[in-house]
Amino acid sequence: MRSSLSKEKQKGFFSSLWDSLSSVRLTIPLLIILAAASIIGTVIPQNGSPEEYLRIYKVSTYKILRILGFLDMYHAGWFILLLALLSLNLVVCSLKRWPSVRRFFGAADFKPEEGQWKAVPPARRFFTPGPVRESLPRVQEEISRLFAPPRSLEGGGAGYLFAEKGKFSRLGFYFIHLSILVILLGALIGSFYGFRGYINIVEGESADRVSLRSGQPDQPLGFRVRLDQFTVSFYPTGAPQEFKSRVTILEGDREVLKESILVNHPLTYKGISFYQSSYGIASVEKALLEGVERSSRRGFTLSVQPGRETEIAGTPYALLLNRFVPDLQGMGPAFQAVLIEDGRPVETLTIVQGPSDFAAQRPGRFQFRLREIQPRYYSGLQATRDPGVKVVWLGCFLMMMGFGLAFLMSHRRVWVRLTEAKGDTAVEISGSSHRNRHEFEKELDRIGAALKTRLSREQRNSS
Amino acid sequence: MISTKMIGSVTFLYLLCTILYFNFLAFRSERLGKAATWAAWISLSVQTAAILLRWVESYQLGFGHAPLSNMYESLVFFSWCIALLYLLWEWRLKSRVIGAFAFPFAFLFNAYASLAPGVSAKIDPLIPALQSNWLHAHVVTCFLSYASFALSCAVAVLYLVKAKGQEKGEKKGSLISLFPSLDSLDEMVYKTIVVGFPLLTIGIVTGAAWANYAWGSYWSWDPKETWSLITWFVYAAFLHARVTREWRGKRTAILSIIGFVSVIFTYFGVNYLLSGLHSYA
Repeated sequence: MRSSLSKEKQKGFFSSLWDSLSSVRLTIPLLIILAAASIIGTVIPQNGSPEEYLRIYKVSTYKILRILGFLDMYHAGWFILLLALLSLNLVVCSLKRWPSVRRFFGAADFKPEEGQWKAVPPARRFFTPGPVRESLPRVQEEISRLFAPPRSLEGGGAGYLFAEKGKFSRLGFYFIHLSILVILLGALIGSFYGFRGYINIVEGESADRVSLRSGQPDQPLGFRVRLDQFTVSFYPTGAPQEFKSRVTILEGDREVLKESILVNHPLTYKGISFYQSSYGIASVEKALLEGVERSSRRGFTLSVQPGRETEIAGTPYALLLNRFVPDLQGMGPAFQAVLIEDGRPVETLTIVQGPSDFAAQRPGRFQFRLREIQPRYYSGLQATRDPGVKVVWLGCFLMMMGFGLAFLMSHRRVWVRLTEAKGDTAVEISGSSHRNRHEFEKELDRIGAALKTRLSREQRNSS
Repeated sequence: MISTKMIGSVTFLYLLCTILYFNFLAFRSERLGKAATWAAWISLSVQTAAILLRWVESYQLGFGHAPLSNMYESLVFFSWCIALLYLLWEWRLKSRVIGAFAFPFAFLFNAYASLAPGVSAKIDPLIPALQSNWLHAHVVTCFLSYASFALSCAVAVLYLVKAKGQEKGEKKGSLISLFPSLDSLDEMVYKTIVVGFPLLTIGIVTGAAWANYAWGSYWSWDPKETWSLITWFVYAAFLHARVTREWRGKRTAILSIIGFVSVIFTYFGVNYLLSGLHSYA
């Protein structure tokens, strides 16, 4: 007794679960919850380091946010669960509605509801001479010219025609719903079988593995990428125009491919794509300096290799550039240098590119200005493998098709009934459309009028 | 730049259109209505010419590109899309009532582009990330969808005003009695979203394709991407609510307005309040 009761309860629970899963009543709140929840991740910075978070939040707030999964919320269990629930709802709804859509793809439906014949306006009722047997083929021909080729049924002194257009429009929503599952599947494939990593390669050097985020071990590429040259160009306005890495792909020692990687122009080799992502100066090969000796006011230029002492001609001094700073407090590239006399450092200086009065103001034996550097660049490339991308594009394509079917087309059906009326035929035209009903009524009126004139003209011609 | 001055003058033209359409509503004169329509088409033509001229000017500066690359250009294009879509609707429906609610949007966005101190009208060369043919498809579809949602929002406001008026008891000959029936307003709120939703979807997809090409990832949960998805969720909810006839009228009108607030946040809020990859417009 008790067990059967609990069984019944269980059944009630499952059937009500099924009911809510198969209802659009669940879809709407789900979409709204997803929309509202997604806001969180745009307000709280995602995937930051603990230090970054502690700069913004208190320790307790940080801990709560971490427990709630708000710091990487788009990959948090509860968010994935919401997406899974939406997918499940979508599948169940689609399955449940299938029978009502399927009937449009079965045998021709010659008889609409009886009420529909009563609603046919007078403009679409008329008589044409001759019995049904004779007028049926004529009407059939005209309908196929005016609308679409109809199928016909004759019997009991009456004839029926049925023509339809755009029945695949009924499948539009299936395409859209299926496409969402396909896109999610593509994303899933990508997260399981893909990777995303970064490599910094210095000009002239090569790499055969990329470092992944979040402390995972490096991903071997299976080949080597060598950076031959990196160039950056600027517009006259100072805005960057082009970043370009010229690379060579090496299989062992063999050069197999030479290509350039630019922003918006990635390179794909063996399923791994490389994207231009960042750049910087790794070291300086040579620096050209302008100098003035204070005591004699003699000016000179000096070509220096960083890390090597260079004698200043006509003086007992040598200059050593020992540290390169890519950007010194917004003043551009700079060097920290030492002036050397008899092998002993006598003065330290900072040599910048920008304003020369910076150098002029400070005391010392010389003043220097950095005129030009020959940098050795490194290029930051993003390396990605994502076998799911093609599936995602397939999903997007299906979705577009679905929209085309669902919103640009409509399923329009036309029924014609022919009945005997004292040797003549009574013609009635009815129809329905699952979208833009109002406009289709007008089209039906046009079809009716055209059919009437064509039939009477034919009649005149033949008599 | 001549084009900038022309666009500045379009602000006043759209203000004039707004006033004319309001007067048409208030005085119900066919002549005023015709004048409003004429003014609207002329304003749109001037704006179109100005946009094309800006395109030419960018070539004269030596770094030619379509005028779709920064905040100023996108605002002007947004305003253009709203005016164009509205006029197409007016032409199809042979009704001018929404004009008074659509042109304030066209006016505001053009005015914001021309007058806001933070929006620079300078023609700048394209930075590397924007040098792609995806730019055109992405920007055009996104802003056409935004414009369609703007119209939907305008009609939704109209709906709520009329519904409120009817609750209080509509007087014969009052302003709101001139509005189309609640049913046809409800239908228009829906139809503009049916136009906007696939366009928004194409906008998101072209953006994803472009991001995959430029940054190596079709989806990074960047604030701009996420907000476009939030907008998409809201309108998807609207369509499900409307198509299955669970919700109608007031509730869907409110959902349309929420959707447009989300559009505006996707467009402005993300740029001004949140940081991300998508810092152009």
